[in-house]
Amino acid sequence: MAEIKLNNLTKRWGEFVGVDSQSLHIKDREFLVLLGPSGCGKTTTMRMIAGLEDPTEGEVWIGDRMVNDDLPKDRDVAMVFQNYGLYPHMTIFENIAYPLRARGVAKSEINPRVEKAAEQVELTQFLDRKPKALSGGQRQRVALARAIVRTPKVFLMDEPLSNLDAKLRVTMRAELKHLSRELQVTTVYVTHDQIEAMTLADRVAVMKHGVIQQLGTPDEIYNDPANLFVAGFIGSPAMNLINGSVEGGEFVTTGGTRLVKLNTADRDKAILGVRADDMNVHGAGQGDIDVKIYAFENTGESTLLTVQWGRQRVIARGDRHLRKEQDDVVGISLDADHLYLFDPETEDRIRI
Amino acid sequence: MRDNTLKYLLVLPAVVVVFATAIWPLIEAARLSFTVGRLNRPGSLEQYLGWENYTWAFLEEPAFWNSVWVTAVYTVLTVGLTTILALGLALLLAPGGRLRSSAQTLLILPFAMSPALIGVSFRFMFNPEFGLFDAFFGVLIPPLADVSWLADPNLAFAVVVMADVWGWIPFLTLVLIGGLASVPRDTIEAAQVDGASGWRVFRDVTLPQLGPVLAVVIILKSIFSLKTFDQVFMLTNGGPGTATQTLSHYIYFNGMKYGQIGYSAAVAWLMVIPMIFLTYAYAKFVFRKD
Amino acid sequence: MTGKQRRQFWSAVHAVLILVAIFIMLVPIVWIFLAAFKTHVDVYQLKLFFTPTLENFDIVFDDPYRLGQKLFNSTFVALVTVIIAIPIATLAAYSFSRFSMRGETMMLVIILATQFVPAVVIILPFFVMFRDIGLLDTRTGLILVNLAIVMPFAIWMIKGFIDGIPMDTEEAAMVDGSSRLQVIRNIVLPMAAPGLLTSAIFCFIIAWNEFLFALILTNKEAVTLPIGLALFKGEEGDLWNLLSAAGIIIMAPMFVLALMIRRYFVQGMTMGAVR
Repeated sequence: MAEIKLNNLTKRWGEFVGVDSQSLHIKDREFLVLLGPSGCGKTTTMRMIAGLEDPTEGEVWIGDRMVNDDLPKDRDVAMVFQNYGLYPHMTIFENIAYPLRARGVAKSEINPRVEKAAEQVELTQFLDRKPKALSGGQRQRVALARAIVRTPKVFLMDEPLSNLDAKLRVTMRAELKHLSRELQVTTVYVTHDQIEAMTLADRVAVMKHGVIQQLGTPDEIYNDPANLFVAGFIGSPAMNLINGSVEGGEFVTTGGTRLVKLNTADRDKAILGVRADDMNVHGAGQGDIDVKIYAFENTGESTLLTVQWGRQRVIARGDRHLRKEQDDVVGISLDADHLYLFDPETEDRIRI
Repeated sequence: MRDNTLKYLLVLPAVVVVFATAIWPLIEAARLSFTVGRLNRPGSLEQYLGWENYTWAFLEEPAFWNSVWVTAVYTVLTVGLTTILALGLALLLAPGGRLRSSAQTLLILPFAMSPALIGVSFRFMFNPEFGLFDAFFGVLIPPLADVSWLADPNLAFAVVVMADVWGWIPFLTLVLIGGLASVPRDTIEAAQVDGASGWRVFRDVTLPQLGPVLAVVIILKSIFSLKTFDQVFMLTNGGPGTATQTLSHYIYFNGMKYGQIGYSAAVAWLMVIPMIFLTYAYAKFVFRKD
Repeated sequence: MTGKQRRQFWSAVHAVLILVAIFIMLVPIVWIFLAAFKTHVDVYQLKLFFTPTLENFDIVFDDPYRLGQKLFNSTFVALVTVIIAIPIATLAAYSFSRFSMRGETMMLVIILATQFVPAVVIILPFFVMFRDIGLLDTRTGLILVNLAIVMPFAIWMIKGFIDGIPMDTEEAAMVDGSSRLQVIRNIVLPMAAPGLLTSAIFCFIIAWNEFLFALILTNKEAVTLPIGLALFKGEEGDLWNLLSAAGIIIMAPMFVLALMIRRYFVQGMTMGAVR
C-alpha cells in the first residue's frame, strides 16, 4: 500500500500534448477517480502510472520510489482493463493465478489464494472454464479477481464497467465499491461516466485537454465547480448556462430579462449557471418570471421542463406529479443559494 | 531488456534475410547490367561497358521490343478481362446461400494450383485432337474446330491469356466479394428505397464504394501480369516464334539459354522500373489508414 | 410478369450462371483428375467413360521418371523454407505490430516491394553466385532463394494476425509481472498459434508451387515437382496420362491445405491492403 505522486507529468506525441505537466498527490488507501471526456488524458495518465507509457517529462512516484525507469512488472501494481485483457487460451483459474506464477509465488500458496480471490468475486464454480464461455459480467469479475489475488501497492482500473450493459453496470458498481472499501488499497480509476465517479470516489480529478480542471471530493465538484467545464460536465441534466451580463447587481440575460440579485460587480459578459434541480416550477405569474414550455418530459421519477427563455432554452426539474403540455406557461424561480457565475472569456468561476 | 533495444533486435533477422535474398540480388543485378556478363567467359562479369547493354536493348533488339509489346498487350488484356469477369462473378456470388458459398469454396482450388500446372492443363485442354476446350470451341465457333491453337500466333496468345484469366479469376473474385461485403448494407437499401433500379444502385452506390478495393485488385493483378513466366513457359515456351514471349521469358532466355547475364540483367532492371511505380501505388493503399 | 415471377426468373438465371462459372473453373482440374486414371490409349481420345487404372501412378514413381525423389525435394524444400521463415517473420511481425521504430514504414514498404520484384531479376545474381560456390542443383540453394518470396508474405500475414490480438491482454500480462519476452512466449505465441499455422501453410503452398527458381537452379538432384513435369515430354509428344498423374500429386495436397486456410487466402495475398 502506498501513496502515488505525479510531478509535472507530461506526455507528448510529436506536436500533440496528451498530458500537460500535471502534478497530483494520491493519498495512501485513497480511491481517486480520473474523470473526463475521451481524449482528455485520463487514460494516458493511468498508463504512465502503470509503466505502459513512458512519460515525456516529469516523475511518477509510487510509495517512496521513483518508478519512471521500472518496467510495469516491477511496479507492483494491478490493473483492470477496459476490455479485461483476459488470456483466452488459459482457464479462469490460470488467468487468476498468472500474476502469482509470473512472480514466482510458491505452488502451494497459489491454490488457496486463487480460490479466495474467486470467492470474493463469486466465480468459484467457473474456475475450469475458458474466458470465452463466460458472460461479460463474469469476465469483468475475472479481471477483478486477477487484480486482487495479490496485494499490490496500487490498483489501476481503466473504464472497467464501460463494456457492461446499463443494468449490470449498476450492480457491478456497488460490488466494486464494497470490495474497494474492504481491501483498502490505493486505487486510481479512470472513467468518463460521472455517476461512477460520484459514487465510487474519495476524490475526483476532472480532466480536459491533458489538464486537471478540478480536484476534490464528489461533493465539491458537484456543488462547488471550479470552472465552466466542470460545471457543464458534472450533473445530469447538464447545468443550465445562461448568457448575459451583470448590471446594477442583477443578472440580465442577453434577451434583456432581469433575473436575480447578485452580490458582484457589474460586467459586460457573464454566464449564469443553474442546475435543473435548483429551479422551482410554479404556476404562471407565481415565479420570478413566466416562460413558455418548449417540451415537457416525464421520466417517471421526476419531470423535465425545457422552457424557452428569451432566445435560450433551459431545463428545469419539476415534481413527478406535475403534468403540463407543450406551450403552457409556467412561472420559474431560481434558488439564490445555488447559483454560479462564470467569466465567458477565461471560463473561470466568479465567486459571488 | 528495454523495449527500445528489443524492438530492433526482433526485426534484425528478418531484415538480414530480406536484404540477402532480395535487396542484394537487386543491387548485384544492377551491377551485372553494366558488364559484358557472359556466363561462359571468365572475367566478363567484371568487365564494364557502361550503358551498352541498355542501348543495345533499345536500339538493336527488335526481340526486346517484341517482348515489351507482348507483355503490355498481355497485361492490359489479362488485367481487364480478369477484373471484369471477377467483378461479375463476385456480384453473382456475394449474396451467400448454400450454392454460392460452395462455389466460393471451390474458387480456392485453381488458386492453390501451381501456375506451371495451369500451363500444362491448358495445353492439354486445347489439344486439337483430344482437348476438351478445343472441342467446346469447335462446337461454338465451327471455324475453330480442331485448329492447332498453339501453332497459330494469335490463337496461342489467346490461349495464354485464357489460362492466366482462368487462374486469377478466383483470387480476384474472393477479394471483390470481401470488398462487396464491406459496402455498408444500409447505403444500398437507402438507394433501393429511394427508387433506384438494380443497375443504378450498382453504378451509383456500390461501385464508388468498391473503388479502393478495385484499385488494389487492379494494381496487384498488373504486377503479377507483368511478371508472368510460369504458364507461358509451360504452355508455349514463348512461341510460336516469339508470339507469346513475355519480358520475363525474354530475360530467362537470354540469361540462361544464351548465357548473356549482363544483357538480361539490364532488361530485368528495365522491368523493375514500372514495378516501383506500381509498388508505390500499392503501398499507398496498404498504409491508407494507419 | 409479376414482380414475384420476375424475381424467380432472375434467380434462376443467376443459378445457371453460377453453375456455368463453377463448371468452367472445375473442368480443367477434373479433366486432369480423369486423365490420370486413363490408360495411354484412352487419354488420347475425348472420353468421359473409361476403365480407370492406377498404372500411371506406378509408372511415374519408376525409372526413368522417379517422381518420388522430386516429391521428397519439394516437400523438403518447402518445409525447411517455412521452418526458417516463420519464426524469423514472427519476431519481426511482433515488433512491427507493437512498436514504432525509426524507419518502420520504410522497412515495411521495402519488404512489401521485394514481393513485387520479378523473380527473374533476383535469380540472375543467385545463379552466378551459386555456380561459383557450388550450390547449383542443391536443396540448400533452393531453400535460400525461396526465402526471398516467402518472407514478405510471412511477415505481412503474421503482422495482420498479431495486429488482431488486443493490446489489453499483453499489457495485463506485463502488469501481472511478465517481461516482454515472457509476454511473447506465454501470451502472444499461444494466441497467435492459429494465425502462425495459417501463415505456415500459406507459405508452404507458395514454396511448393514455386517454378522459376527451381527451373534455373536445378537440373538433376534437387529437381522439384513442378519442374518434374517437363520429364513427361516424350519423343512422340506429351505423355498426358503421366503428366496428369504427376499433376494430381502436385495439386491434391495443396488443395487440402488451401481448403484448411481458405478464409485467409485473400488477406495473405493482398498483404493487408484488403481486410
